[in-house]
Amino acid sequence: MNNAIELRDVSWSAGKSFALRDLSLRVPTGSIYGFLGPNGSGKTTTIRLFMGMMRPERGEIRMLGKSVPRDMKSILARVGYVPERPHVYPALTVAEQLRYHSAFFRSWDRGWAKELMGRLQLEAEQKIARLSKGETGKLLPLLALAQRPNLLVLDEPTEGLDPVVRRDVIAAVLDYVSEASATVFISSHLVHELERICDWVGMMDRGRVVAEMPMNQFKNGIKRLRVADAPATLNGSPFTVLSRLSENGAGSGETWIVRGWEAPMRYYLETVGATLRDVIDLDLEESFVDLLRSSRPPSGGRQ
Amino acid sequence: MYHPMLFVHWKQAKFLLIPFVVAAFGLPLLVVQGYGWGAGVELGLEAYRILAAYEVWLPLFPLLAASIGAVIALTAWNWDHRYGHVHALSLPVARWEYAAMKMGAGAALVLVPSAALWIGAHLASASIALPDGLRAYPNLLAFRFFLATLVSYALFFALGAGTIRTTMWVVSAVVGLVVGGELVRGVLAMVAPSMDLDVMTNALLWVMRAGGPFAVFTGNWALIDV
Repeated sequence: MNNAIELRDVSWSAGKSFALRDLSLRVPTGSIYGFLGPNGSGKTTTIRLFMGMMRPERGEIRMLGKSVPRDMKSILARVGYVPERPHVYPALTVAEQLRYHSAFFRSWDRGWAKELMGRLQLEAEQKIARLSKGETGKLLPLLALAQRPNLLVLDEPTEGLDPVVRRDVIAAVLDYVSEASATVFISSHLVHELERICDWVGMMDRGRVVAEMPMNQFKNGIKRLRVADAPATLNGSPFTVLSRLSENGAGSGETWIVRGWEAPMRYYLETVGATLRDVIDLDLEESFVDLLRSSRPPSGGRQ
Repeated sequence: MYHPMLFVHWKQAKFLLIPFVVAAFGLPLLVVQGYGWGAGVELGLEAYRILAAYEVWLPLFPLLAASIGAVIALTAWNWDHRYGHVHALSLPVARWEYAAMKMGAGAALVLVPSAALWIGAHLASASIALPDGLRAYPNLLAFRFFLATLVSYALFFALGAGTIRTTMWVVSAVVGLVVGGELVRGVLAMVAPSMDLDVMTNALLWVMRAGGPFAVFTGNWALIDV
């Protein structure tokens, strides 16, 4: 499978306060890849690394089959980028900003830009300094989409936007993807938003990628099990136990959060003398939170 | 790509530039106020007196040029710094290419106040009747003004291109050199009093004298001269 974005063993540090260590990431071509992580986990830093804005200390980065930062100019001609914070010039009007941005992209689709402007209800002569947060939030994806990119990199594109604007932006992105078969890399900590639209998910915490898998595998593979008579240790388990908690006042009952669970694995539990009482599906947010908890050291301190 | 960049720079700088453009236009007119020599008047003591008085105004021209250069340069990078250069870095343009286009856009803006000064200088020259032996040099003055603004612009553009940290390093290095030079001078004055090694003055003379990078600021700024 081709990867639109590929990071291999990338490391980067900002002094002693924060570091990305041996980061590896694969974003399959044509996928909508949701990049989840709590605030400060390193999502934006990772994006800036593969966007060529920062140089890694170690490791290899490839985008659209080309090397970063060597082939950055040709890569960026095919990438639409929505940064975490607005970067548009406040003294310009919407139309002037579009004209300025379009001058750098040969693939710029003027007709579609105009159509998107109408669809997202942006006024051409409106000054950017006077745009509301929601309007600025619509302008940035418009700039990225009108480039007709092969890859869209969206860094918290709907952060702070109201649900109506959020829906408009996501709909515009999805329409483009279905039409142009582009790859989308979307970073967010709004788990529910990604759950609906992504087919791949990567999770980041404290500068590490803690999980990366197809969304359906992730959603189906993480379960909460209620188990009785569980042994103290599990040997040769076909699934990964992320956490174990004793149930209050339930004797030998425990609640497990497990990854890689499939129905036939209940027989394994019988072989170790445990009884499976219940299998509970978790939504993405619960899975995400449990996965993060299980990946952190017990002390809760920084790694 | 260059034209949109020029347009963006113009949008950023125009309100700040307006007073400077007015000043550049008005300064030559201001300095010739009160000159009422008639044609055929001999270049006598009175003319010398007036020329000497006129020279009081001369430092304003390089000062204005330096200020305009600084304003254009600092507005060139203002927004880029404010947004962490994110937009520039996400464009499919090499960094040097982007900086060169930005530099070129600002250099074109330098023409605006220079043109204002050129027009003002011509109007000022035309408004007075010069005595015999004196001539007006509006084109030379405007050209010198343009060059001085350009030099100032280039200097501040380079300083402004870096991060605050880089700029601080450069400024600290210059201050360090000056202070170090003075210390060396002080030590040498004690060790060998006959040796007068004035590093600061020599350095200043080197950059300002003919052939030095800032010589344009110290040349002849006269609109009216013999």
